Amino acid sequence: MLRPPAVKAKGLTRHFESRKGFFFSELTRTEALRGVDLEVAPGEIFGLLGPNGAGKTTLTKILSTLLLPSGGRAEVLGLDVTREALRLRPRIGLVLGGERGLYNRVSARENLRYFADLYGVPPEKRAARIDEVLTWVGLADAGDRRVEEFSRGMKQKLHLARGILHEPEMLFLDEPTIGLDPKSARETRKLVRSLVANGVTILLTTHYMFEAEELCQRIAVLSRGKIVARDTIAGLRRLVGGDRTIEVEDYGFEDLEVARLRRLPGVSRLFTEEFGPRLRCTLRVGTGELTEAQIRAALPGHAEMTVRERRTALEDIYLDLVEEEAK
Amino acid sequence: MAAVRSFSRRRSLLASLRLAVLTFLADPQWLVPSLIAPVIFGLVSYELFLGSSPWFVLYAILGAGMMSMWGQTLYGSGWATGQDRNLGTLEPTLSAPTPYLYVVLGRIIWNTVSGLLGGAIVFVVVALSYGKPVPLSNPLGFALLFVFVIVSLAAVGIVFSAAYVYTRYAGFIQNVGEFAFYVGTGCMFPVALLPFWSNPISLLFPPTWALDALRYVAIPGYHGLSWGLWGDLVGAVALTAVYLAIAGTVFSRVERHVLEVGNLGDY
Ligand SMILES: Nc1ncnc2c1ncn2[C@@H]1O[C@H](COP(=O)(O)OP(=O)(O)OP(=O)(O)O)[C@@H](O)[C@H]1O
Ligand SMILES: [Mg+2]
Repeated sequence: MLRPPAVKAKGLTRHFESRKGFFFSELTRTEALRGVDLEVAPGEIFGLLGPNGAGKTTLTKILSTLLLPSGGRAEVLGLDVTREALRLRPRIGLVLGGERGLYNRVSARENLRYFADLYGVPPEKRAARIDEVLTWVGLADAGDRRVEEFSRGMKQKLHLARGILHEPEMLFLDEPTIGLDPKSARETRKLVRSLVANGVTILLTTHYMFEAEELCQRIAVLSRGKIVARDTIAGLRRLVGGDRTIEVEDYGFEDLEVARLRRLPGVSRLFTEEFGPRLRCTLRVGTGELTEAQIRAALPGHAEMTVRERRTALEDIYLDLVEEEAK
Repeated sequence: MAAVRSFSRRRSLLASLRLAVLTFLADPQWLVPSLIAPVIFGLVSYELFLGSSPWFVLYAILGAGMMSMWGQTLYGSGWATGQDRNLGTLEPTLSAPTPYLYVVLGRIIWNTVSGLLGGAIVFVVVALSYGKPVPLSNPLGFALLFVFVIVSLAAVGIVFSAAYVYTRYAGFIQNVGEFAFYVGTGCMFPVALLPFWSNPISLLFPPTWALDALRYVAIPGYHGLSWGLWGDLVGAVALTAVYLAIAGTVFSRVERHVLEVGNLGDY
């Protein structure tokens, strides 16, 4: 059986107009999304990366019917996000990171009960389902405490519990582990994986590269309202020209020497960074193309320099892509 | 694989009513408007009209009771939506499959009940201070009109709620409205004593008309708005209908508008 894509967006644009000042107000216009095409397959975890202000939250809100696009169109689970929002809503869940969005004066359980009613969890299943999600996110013992007593991480977990309460088929997670301690963040990632194992499709926004690397099959990098790359992590490695990263470091290199490194066979990208008195040249190199001996031979005057090799991480790829886009 | 779901407007309304009660019970700040303010309104109005005829005492009760009910029913309704904005719960609530209007209605039911409680407290306080039973010239008419006053208050409350969804500046609008209401409706003083300019504003609120009608019915020889009881009734019914119609149509539009503007998260 062929399932339609979980998300299918074509040419999505969104701008915001905001006024500054009361009497002599000035209209400023922000282009948050400038033509986004996106396709997410059912059952996958799709990662959305990008610098602050790139438009990730805006895109997430449009796809989860909390914001109307200014242009273009999008379908989620085969339903148009603008025209069929009411039919779509019970089938999707949205978790926005942060501490807001909960009724602080009442207990976690009452919060969940309220949203269970609003989102249509059958009344006879409600209590059991609330217990289930509370246990799932690790709040089983805190269910009857008022949310105002919760730590930031506990609120975050409660958000997640609310997002999955009504068993959505598609979940939008906007920075779900922001502000969580390492252990809670790891539990959250485990939870995300178990959701996917149950067939839920996930669109995940994160600033933690290892998180995306650990969880996501495919990734899109959004920069200033546009998708600048979209592929599997292996595909992105090829895109930035190499799955090997070699760092060459010493007390300074001549411009001429740096240029010589750049011309070595297999080097697709090179950039330099200063660390106090030391200078580091970082090279992106393809599989089996360049050896340490070749590098040392190219820089004969630097017997003391260090040469280190590691696998190109998603973070490297990301920085390459975002830097390139900024030029 | 899809989960079974059963959402309905009634369920949203009841869930919201339940949450309103729980929030109320959890928050001691509500004791002031709901229990203490009516006692003070009652005592002040009793002092003001000390030595007047029993009808004046009734007048005072109605005025103070209305002030208390206005505070609870109307202010409470707008406040709750403003609170949704501040807490950031407006987004998850509005992205639910049922219209937000039913959440608002659930709250208004609770606010009306607690507003009635305030009205009852005023009645008891003044009656006790007065020491004699307070007369009522037309109990049945009074009861019917009283219910209607509540409906007219709720209608204004819904419209104010919509304003809070629309913009975070709604508090400003509501404060102006509240001032116009207190001064203009003749809660405390007969409208005739007021400067002319304040009347047009208060006439925009259906409770002004309904309250005036209530006084015509309850107090013999009462002279309020110049068009008399029947004029009041027609005006009150028509205005309430207008407010309810506005509320019904405005809500779905406001919901769409906020998705267009994207200011739901502002606070
Ligand atoms: N309600 C709004 N009114 C005006 N401008 C807005 C609004 N929401 C977002 N923007 C602007 O749109 C752009 C994209 O914002 P968005 O929140 O989508 O970025 P983001 O990628 O989620 O960033 P971050 O990583 O910081 O969360 C930003 O320039 C932001 O200032
Ligand atoms: Mg964001």
